[in-house]
Amino acid sequence: MARIELEGIQKRWGPVWGVRDVNLDIKDEELVVFLGPSGCGKTTTMRMIAGLEEPTEGTIRMDGELVNDFDARDRDVAMVFQGYALYPNMSIYENIRFPLRMRDVPKAEHEKLVREAAQLVELEDYLDRKPGALSGGQRQRAALARAIVRKPKVFLMDEPLSNLDAKLRHAMRVQIKHLQRQLRITTVYVTHDQIEAMTLADRIVVMDSGLIQQIGTPDEIYSDPANTFVASFIGSPPMNIVSGVIENRTFRSEGIEIPELQIDHSGPTSFGIRPEDCVVARDASRPSHFRGSVYGVEPTGDLTYLTMRAGDKNFEVKTDRSYRADLGAEERIAFDTERMYFFDTESGRRIT
Amino acid sequence: MASIRRTGGEKLWIRYLILGAWALFCITPALWFLSIGLRPRTEIITPQPIYWPTFSLDAWHMLWSDWPMAKYLRNSVAAIFGSVLIDLVLAIPAAYSLARYEYRGRDDIGFYILSTRMMAPAIVAIPIFFLFRNAGLLDTVWALMLIYAAVNLSVVTWIIRSYMLDIPKELEDSARTDGASDLRILWEIIIPAIRPGIITAAVIAMIFAINEFLFTLLIASTPKAYTMSVALANFTGGSDGVIYNAIALVAFLAFIPVFIVVVAIQKHLSRGLTLGAVKG
Ligand SMILES: Nc1ncnc2c1ncn2[C@@H]1O[C@H](COP(=O)(O)OP(=O)(O)O)[C@@H](O)[C@H]1O
Ligand SMILES: [Mg+2]
Repeated sequence: MARIELEGIQKRWGPVWGVRDVNLDIKDEELVVFLGPSGCGKTTTMRMIAGLEEPTEGTIRMDGELVNDFDARDRDVAMVFQGYALYPNMSIYENIRFPLRMRDVPKAEHEKLVREAAQLVELEDYLDRKPGALSGGQRQRAALARAIVRKPKVFLMDEPLSNLDAKLRHAMRVQIKHLQRQLRITTVYVTHDQIEAMTLADRIVVMDSGLIQQIGTPDEIYSDPANTFVASFIGSPPMNIVSGVIENRTFRSEGIEIPELQIDHSGPTSFGIRPEDCVVARDASRPSHFRGSVYGVEPTGDLTYLTMRAGDKNFEVKTDRSYRADLGAEERIAFDTERMYFFDTESGRRIT
Repeated sequence: MASIRRTGGEKLWIRYLILGAWALFCITPALWFLSIGLRPRTEIITPQPIYWPTFSLDAWHMLWSDWPMAKYLRNSVAAIFGSVLIDLVLAIPAAYSLARYEYRGRDDIGFYILSTRMMAPAIVAIPIFFLFRNAGLLDTVWALMLIYAAVNLSVVTWIIRSYMLDIPKELEDSARTDGASDLRILWEIIIPAIRPGIITAAVIAMIFAINEFLFTLLIASTPKAYTMSVALANFTGGSDGVIYNAIALVAFLAFIPVFIVVVAIQKHLSRGLTLGAVKG
């Protein structure tokens, strides 16, 4: 049970920046997901919370107590590492038991606790094996069991599902969320997979090049992105972002014209719209905003992805499952005008 | 790796031929020594070639009756195992420190340790003699233990360090967040993970120690602290002249344990040697 406060956190190795400026208040029992591309500083931030890395600047508090000078073993966190970090010479049983031995949990309870943890991740039948004799998914679950075998103040999970196949990943995702709710332990979860972030998080922290881009609930991050980075990182396929100009309340770009805008802004602007907020307007009497040629059609079963060409950029549209068109055909697209986003082209910041 | 694909039938026998010839070439001296050791003394020094040698255990009996061979053997074993033990106790923490902690002058210290190996032993022979004499350790097995340990410490440290560098740092980080202290990490995580490296280093130290001659001769001035290698030298002097068959037999006996150990751990050994060399 812990609240974690990061204030003005920076991490540098000589001239190399790991984290530039992180301010974050993680509430007790909250599940916070760090989301961002590889190299943006997610692992580094997590390691600083764990006490494995010392911040160059800034303070870390747990339940109000300054823990900057606390060694990793005194912070009472449990971490799942990106590469599992199972102890190769110990059986899975001994691996899961290790934290109990180190934390002086009475010996009599070990067996019961280890079996409970193994059961939660469905690994009871593999306790006698060495890590080398397990598949990637089983190792990942063993690492998870080792983290949950005791009740730490904080769980830290660094891309714990990155090496699993899609099906197992989904199952484990559900399991982790369930576990976290059940155990009610503050959790920081790192991933570069936006679906994982959206489905797991109470709040998402979107990071890029060592800086927090936005903090918010999955809903807020999705429907209220703070800048083009967040907008284009979330969603699958991601938001279409087209640069153009606003003049007389009309946005224009190659093939696109959106009149009667409600925003007070003119000059160079980037326009964004999600593929699911576009519809194909085959009925000529219907108003449309975008005219272009069909570049690709990908039926997936429950819906069809239509890729249009706008200037030299692709423009994605989600259409219904029955949609078909010839490549190169002319098509008109209408936007849901309630769900359009405008960004300052220079800074990428959202204009409201 | 590319050559593995060409392991067709007709190429295979060439490989076996070459490897077999090389193996024979390597093992011949040992077999030669064995054959000399098991013949009567008179037969060895005849000028004519002998095609059907006579089998004799003369040399064997002489070793155990006329010479305190058992004592020499005991001295050897005690000095060698003692020195290896000292080396491991000192080298493992030293290697851990060199491999994992960051502090000023770490790389320099690593180099100093290694540089003790670059010196010709004869240079320090005289100072070491006085050192041990003043310490009252001359002519003791303890002194041999210490000197072997000192000679091998750098190599043992270096090999173990290279194995430690191979261990993912995440493993230690994980143990640390699980609540383990540095010593427990070393004892429960690192040492089990590098067991092959420790064995390799120990065997290499053992081989060096068995073959060590200069310092042993210097320190062991009476049979009280003689080892096998110095005992060998004694068969060449004295009133009996050079006793070739006994020399050969002792040499062969000294070779057996090393041979067995090396064969048993050869996989680790080659890895240890190259690692030590490349990862410097
Ligand atoms: N020990 C280190 N020494 C130097 N640079 C590092 C170190 N660890 C991480 N970095 C750098 O810090 C940045 C952030 O790394 P990391 O936090 O691992 O990213 P992420 O986990 O988001 O992929 C990267 O550019 C990385 O190269
Ligand atoms: Mg990472």
